[in-house]
Amino acid sequence: MRSLRTILLVGLAGVLVLALAACGASKTSSSSSGAGASSAVAAGIQTPATESLTGGKKGGTLTVLNHEDFEHIDPGQSYFSIDYEAVYATQRPLYSYKPNTFSEVTPDMAESAPQITDGGKLVTVKIRHGVHFSPPVNREVTSADVAYAIERAANSNVANPYYMGYFSAVEGMPKASGGPIPGITTPDKYTIEFHLTEPAGEIVANALVLPMSAAVPPEYAKKYDAEKPSEYGNHQVATGPYMFKADSSGKVLGTGYQPGKSATLVRNPNWDASTDHRPAYLDQIEVKIGGDTEVIGRQVLEGSHIVQDDTVAQPIVKLAYEKYRDQLLISPGSGDHYMAVNNSYGPFTDVNLRKAFWAALDREAMNKARGGSLVTNVMTHFLYPGMPGFEKAGGLAGPKVDYNEHPRGDMAVAEKYMKLAGYPSGKYTGGKTIQVVGSTGNPNAQNAEIANQTLKNMGFKTKFNLVDQSVMYSKYCGVVSEKIDVCPNVGWISDFGDGQAVLDVPFNGKLIVKNGTNANWGLVDHPKINAAMAAAEKLVGAGAREDAWAKIDEELVAEAVAIPYDWDKQAAIRAKDVLGVGDQWNIGSWDFNYTSLK
Amino acid sequence: MSAAEPLLRVEDLRVDFPTEDGVVHAVDGITYEIYHGRTLGIVGESGSGKTVSSLTTLGLTRGQGARVSGRILFEGRDLVGLSEAEMRGIRGNDIAMVFQDPLSSLHPFFKVGAQLIEAVRAHQDVSKAKARARAVELLGLVGIPDPSRRVDQFPHEFSGGMRQRAMIAMALANEPKLLIADEPTTALDVTVQAQILALMEQLQRELGMAIVIITHDLGVVAELADDIAVMYAGRIVEAASAELLFSQPQHPYTWGLLKSIPTLEGSRTEPLVPISGAPPSLINPPSGCHFHPRCPYAQPEHARVDPRLEPVPGEPSHHVACLLEADVRRRLWAQLHAGRVPEEALAAVGVEEEPPR
Amino acid sequence: MTRYIIRRLLWGVALLIIVSALTFVMFRILPTGDPAKLRAGRLQNPKIIAEIRNNLGLDKPLLTQFWLYMKGIFLHFDLGFSYYSNAPVKELISTRLPATLSLVFGGAVVWLTAGLAVGIVSARRARSRLDRVSMGGALVLVSAPEYWLGLILLYVFAADIGQVRIFPGAGSYVGLTGAPVKWLTAMILPWLVVAAGTAAVYARLIRGSLIETMSEDYIRTARAKGLSERRVVLRHGVRAAINPVLTILGLDIAALLGSSVLVETVFDIPGIGRLNFDAINHSDFPIVQGTVLLAALFVVVANILVDIAYAYLDPRVRYS
Repeated sequence: MRSLRTILLVGLAGVLVLALAACGASKTSSSSSGAGASSAVAAGIQTPATESLTGGKKGGTLTVLNHEDFEHIDPGQSYFSIDYEAVYATQRPLYSYKPNTFSEVTPDMAESAPQITDGGKLVTVKIRHGVHFSPPVNREVTSADVAYAIERAANSNVANPYYMGYFSAVEGMPKASGGPIPGITTPDKYTIEFHLTEPAGEIVANALVLPMSAAVPPEYAKKYDAEKPSEYGNHQVATGPYMFKADSSGKVLGTGYQPGKSATLVRNPNWDASTDHRPAYLDQIEVKIGGDTEVIGRQVLEGSHIVQDDTVAQPIVKLAYEKYRDQLLISPGSGDHYMAVNNSYGPFTDVNLRKAFWAALDREAMNKARGGSLVTNVMTHFLYPGMPGFEKAGGLAGPKVDYNEHPRGDMAVAEKYMKLAGYPSGKYTGGKTIQVVGSTGNPNAQNAEIANQTLKNMGFKTKFNLVDQSVMYSKYCGVVSEKIDVCPNVGWISDFGDGQAVLDVPFNGKLIVKNGTNANWGLVDHPKINAAMAAAEKLVGAGAREDAWAKIDEELVAEAVAIPYDWDKQAAIRAKDVLGVGDQWNIGSWDFNYTSLK
Repeated sequence: MSAAEPLLRVEDLRVDFPTEDGVVHAVDGITYEIYHGRTLGIVGESGSGKTVSSLTTLGLTRGQGARVSGRILFEGRDLVGLSEAEMRGIRGNDIAMVFQDPLSSLHPFFKVGAQLIEAVRAHQDVSKAKARARAVELLGLVGIPDPSRRVDQFPHEFSGGMRQRAMIAMALANEPKLLIADEPTTALDVTVQAQILALMEQLQRELGMAIVIITHDLGVVAELADDIAVMYAGRIVEAASAELLFSQPQHPYTWGLLKSIPTLEGSRTEPLVPISGAPPSLINPPSGCHFHPRCPYAQPEHARVDPRLEPVPGEPSHHVACLLEADVRRRLWAQLHAGRVPEEALAAVGVEEEPPR
Repeated sequence: MTRYIIRRLLWGVALLIIVSALTFVMFRILPTGDPAKLRAGRLQNPKIIAEIRNNLGLDKPLLTQFWLYMKGIFLHFDLGFSYYSNAPVKELISTRLPATLSLVFGGAVVWLTAGLAVGIVSARRARSRLDRVSMGGALVLVSAPEYWLGLILLYVFAADIGQVRIFPGAGSYVGLTGAPVKWLTAMILPWLVVAAGTAAVYARLIRGSLIETMSEDYIRTARAKGLSERRVVLRHGVRAAINPVLTILGLDIAALLGSSVLVETVFDIPGIGRLNFDAINHSDFPIVQGTVLLAALFVVVANILVDIAYAYLDPRVRYS
């Protein structure tokens, strides 16, 4: 049964992996967000960097054809690019992005930029007057609603996936389980304060861009949050220009959202345009879920007032490129795919073996399976195109080290490093069978096969397994004690235009989670790199941070901590009469707040 | 139509079936006739063409790709040339047929009554209720007790004899002028056989129809038939009134048939003598007299000369197709009748085989 | 007969319990995503994961979990909550069921009709050119993958992406009760795809069965009565030839009710097959359990219905 997915789904790869980004992204630095992006995409194709945000026509219904369902529509739970499409149209977090930027944050529910005082231990946010919840709540949003939204993240019925990564410095947060948190106070209806136990104001302030900070009315939501699991998502109220269609009691499930089937966003009658940066041209958004990606693709390209807002099938990308080029948007910097190799256990603790593997891998073949140069770039180091520090760390060509200079793989270079590792024949003769766990469904399975073949060519005996992607993460690659040697199908998508958001969690030895769900899949734990990261986290100022994270990138390459192969470019398609605006910050998904109909 | 005209006259009827192995000459030029109220017995082994000729009379061999030539004159109309629709008007109406195995010949999924009603309504424009009343009446007529209850039963709820009675009732639904009964008693117990034959005789008396009864068993037709035609390899080899055929059979094959059945008159100690040899191929029939390979009295020239069906000298109503001299045949039969086996009869009559040339 | 049906029903219930138990065990033996970790998301701390596990009842012994599940089903007809979408399984299934029923029963009507028509014509003209063409075509259809066939039909006939824009395309499914005409037109292409392969199988089956039946003595009897050939074939022949077909019809329908994911996906019909398929991919155990149970129920009910139909159609069959 599961193998059917290979037909149905073409390349829904790293979308589930949304990174948590730690501190540091400066709210004012936007200068470098487009760096490297233009060269990564073929000329003449729309990218988020080139689109216009104004001048759309008001009105009409946009149809969205998605293969994948939403994961969580509750703003306290959602952490998935498809969820974000709906959540950022219906909810107003304290801060949000305009579509064409990775890093420039705009006050949203907040009235102005956050004030960080007390040596970075107090964050104060003023919120707007005159923003109202949608029916049936209808009343004005206050700071207490924002406080409750953050408190409920710790309720295990809600189980927000990232709050501990961002808010652990808030006083009382680590021990919270849904009730009031001492470190969050509301001196008045329009002010909220975060009292921190350490100077982590930058982290907390940055995290307020995530949907978890979207206001939730406690008097309405508490009864739903008491359900196991919480049912607030099915009864949610909105603050944004749109809302999930709901019945008079506010119930969304079965009215505005039918899981796996459809969703309907209608205008929120209580939304006031004068308080918001969103133009919100559309009257209504109809999301149809579950169609075949190739059929959907053609319906979009040949249809009217339609977009597809999840991963486009490879043949459709090709078709769009050849025949409907002006309906195609390619968004660079949409994450990466690399192979995690175990830096802490087994043969790959030897840096020369890692370099040999890097040298031997045919990265072009890997990317050909993923759709070729239209939607991939050969990955040569760890910062993405468009990220600050990308060019300094080597740009598209990457660092000039011999194991990186042959994107098609070079066994001669590989053998050189095998010899350095103590295998004079140039082949691995250590005798240990290494464990490779990849993910089912193409192109991931094809990538895993190529990786496995490369390892065999190098002389390794392998135990090769393909499992469902969720199983790969939750039972193998994300579990430290499994000691998997090679995970060929891991990937990372960052939330922020800051090097730290890309490199910290996957490669910082301090962030290895022993008994939970680990995301440093290669168990990369090099004291020198750990120290450099610790220093870079505390830096302030765009230029200094860019330099520091670019240097860390170079060190990661020098240590060959992982085997990179693909910088993703996400393709999105629209009907010819849709003025589509894609979100640079959300892997190029169409932004319902800015997209309009011709 | 004058009373002297036959109800059915079959003239030089030939029925061929083309198959992958060659053309099967199932019926090879037969001629016979039957009059109102009379019974004709057609006797022969399986494969002799007796069933095919009857099915052809009803036009039922058409669908199987049969090539038919000759004439089948029913009340003066040639059935061979009729359209399928015209033929349908005759089937089950003027001419009806009863088959060998009543269990397989009745549809297992339909009630007996429904099958009778269907037969009635195929040719009579009557209401269902009327047809049903007729069905009950017919079941009563053929001697099924409690017919108004039985009419709603399925064939598997009937006994073998009752099923055949039901088949007969169905054939009588439209008061046919001619009833063809193809081995009507073969699948039945001996005691039931006699009842069915008695029923047919009684029905013929009451309804006045003509009957063709097809059988491999001369004993069956002995009681019932007025006239008898003996068929062998697609041809009639002997035809006569029942009386003549039993008292003075002329054809060695007929003798074989008579000797191969137990008769009530025959002595208990008399051995039953089956006809030796296998029935002939109908694709490549034997040369000359088709019976010669199995005939104990055959002479070498019998393999070259094909006998014609001709009147027996002195008995114009008795026809036989045999190359033996009439006198020799008479003496052979006398010997056989006296209980001799063919070899003894041959020796006694003194017919010597000619030395091979 | 009644006693027989009651006995069969009791066996059916027992079978469903066994199927549930097997699914329960399988989901825990086979490597699937840990529902608690999946809910918790990446980088979650062990405390929250443990709490979620407790909330979902996953920390209880397997036997207890199964007992609670069975109790829920028998006492409250409660199939639990989806891990993935927080919606009651019962509600998810009931909103998806009409689409699948439309697809499968409509498809069954199409394939039975087409199979009968082609089968009868082929049987009546056995070994003719028409027969050979139909049986050859049937062979092609049997081996044509549904997904591929669906795409072809859409690319040729769909109103939005086709070459000859006749029928509504993918995603045009609406409920029967709301808009019967729209429902009908939207279902035509999916029905054709669902029916194509099966109709071909049925055509071959009916052809063989009818050829055999037409050589039966009772067919000769029917002809000898003077019935029209049409009546002989359709009433006497088909009536007997169709019996073996009905046996597999029930099972085919039941099997398809749980496994029409490809057609549902190609035509974007929100049905049970897709619900089950997505649930497997999401490690959404309550839905998998619910849909598997439903599929098993279909098979059990279909089997009983087939038996009843058999007794009704063939008077010689009696149960005790």
